[in-house]
Amino acid sequence: MLGKIARWSVLVVFTLITLAPLLWLVLSSFKTDAELFGNPFGLPASWSFVNYQDALDAHPLLLFLRNSFVVALLSSVLIIVAGLLASYALMHQFRLSRFTFGFLLFGILLPVNALMTPIFFLVNMMGLYNNVLGVALVYAGLFFPLGFLVIKSYMDTTPMEILEAARVDGASFHRIFRSIVAPLSAPGAVTAGIFLMITAWNELLFASILTQDASAQTVQVGVRYFLTAYSANYPVAFAATVMAIAPTVVIYMVLSERIVDAMTAGSLK
Amino acid sequence: MASRRNIALYLVPAVALVTVFLVLPLVVVAILSTTRWVGVGTPEPVGFDNFSHLLTDPAFRRALANTVLWVVVGTVVHTPLCVLVALVVARRPRGWRFFRTAFFVPNVISATALALLWYFVFHVSLGPLNTLLRAAGLDDWARAWLSDPSTALGATMTPWVVYVGFGMVLFLTQISTIPREYYEAAQLDGASGLRQDLHITIPLIRRAIALQVLFVVGYALRSFEYPFIMTSGGPADSTMTLSLYIYRQMMTANQYGLSMAAGVVTLVVGIVLTALIFLGLRRAER
Repeated sequence: MLGKIARWSVLVVFTLITLAPLLWLVLSSFKTDAELFGNPFGLPASWSFVNYQDALDAHPLLLFLRNSFVVALLSSVLIIVAGLLASYALMHQFRLSRFTFGFLLFGILLPVNALMTPIFFLVNMMGLYNNVLGVALVYAGLFFPLGFLVIKSYMDTTPMEILEAARVDGASFHRIFRSIVAPLSAPGAVTAGIFLMITAWNELLFASILTQDASAQTVQVGVRYFLTAYSANYPVAFAATVMAIAPTVVIYMVLSERIVDAMTAGSLK
Repeated sequence: MASRRNIALYLVPAVALVTVFLVLPLVVVAILSTTRWVGVGTPEPVGFDNFSHLLTDPAFRRALANTVLWVVVGTVVHTPLCVLVALVVARRPRGWRFFRTAFFVPNVISATALALLWYFVFHVSLGPLNTLLRAAGLDDWARAWLSDPSTALGATMTPWVVYVGFGMVLFLTQISTIPREYYEAAQLDGASGLRQDLHITIPLIRRAIALQVLFVVGYALRSFEYPFIMTSGGPADSTMTLSLYIYRQMMTANQYGLSMAAGVVTLVVGIVLTALIFLGLRRAER
């Protein structure tokens, strides 16, 4: 009995810790400034989207959101393509196959923030400073090991007999990849893709050092404009924040099992 | 046929990504960490001057100390909380699927958004925390959390608690691989639920615990958003982290050589801590 009470208190306390701040953020985004300070914990007097409209008018939020989407999509597609090709190559034994596997994966253990200075100059030299393409390429490089691990663990469950049979039937190296291995690995690639898009969408540090203005800034960089020391309309800032996190939260609500799997996948192997 | 040439061809995109964005920056950061460079002209070799400067820079020492603190707190406070939540959810109480899903939510939300939210929570005049304290009659407790050097670091570390869901999922995954018979045998011997947790579950999830500590180290070394948004590293550098220090030397001071030297130290700290965790795990598995 005592154990049961203790267990339920743990569940209730952690539900409050994880969900209450978010609920409070959403409720506050519908309040007026006066309401927020007069009645910080109550329900808003009216459910009007005026703060959301104000947020869209105050800064080019739609442009930030679009940039975030382009960067997330582009980097994820690059990683998936490179990851599928490399995982297929590594299904074959060759002299350096173990070394290559380690080479492609070692970055997973690196604190990549330590590389922000050389990467900043690298992107400048490539002429991609303040360009969504530059941010997308950097993400593709930095997050490649994460996506590769998910894709490779999935592809490794493909039964070798199918490949053997296809080879006996005379299918070429490329043909086996295109018609058999790639389609069979699609679920793994989709899982990796969702996880990578969320990771890219949420990144702040590299997005802020590699961009300068709204033409390339992502929503994580842009949302900070709403809270400066001099001009802060908090409910409007909260409305902008809600729009910045809504895409990942909605995707998570639809695909929670898959995302949880992806974010922890392969890590116990 | 699986010719060597075909295999190599399929490896090109992946090898290119890793070489350009991980290996090349690693080489550059190592070489330029021994130079003084303002971004234009030729970097001037200065030997290990940057490193000796870092060791005497109070801001950098603070960043290193804070990183160690993040690792310690993450290991001895955060990780046990994750274990606790995992043990509770693993018993499959009513609605356990909901709790598992709910606890993981903060991990898909950007740290930027959460940091903005927490910045507001701790706000001296407007924040809900001080409002609550005053409403409870604890006016003395209300303070300028983020500009008071004695509370700022704690305030930037507090939001970490929302990430328990990540460790929880790691542990649940490994708990689900433990054979039922172990618990049945323990029950026949009259072992209580708590004893089963302590003597069966926790020893058998040590791999996941080591992995969680590895994530803690990664998080401590990458820690940027919370101090950057909540305090900008202040007051008096008390909330400085390694990532923020590198960022500041590069973006504000334009001390690129120094910033790369700080990057090298960050990498070395990461490698050393990771090696220690693997060693610790190997000892535990013996």
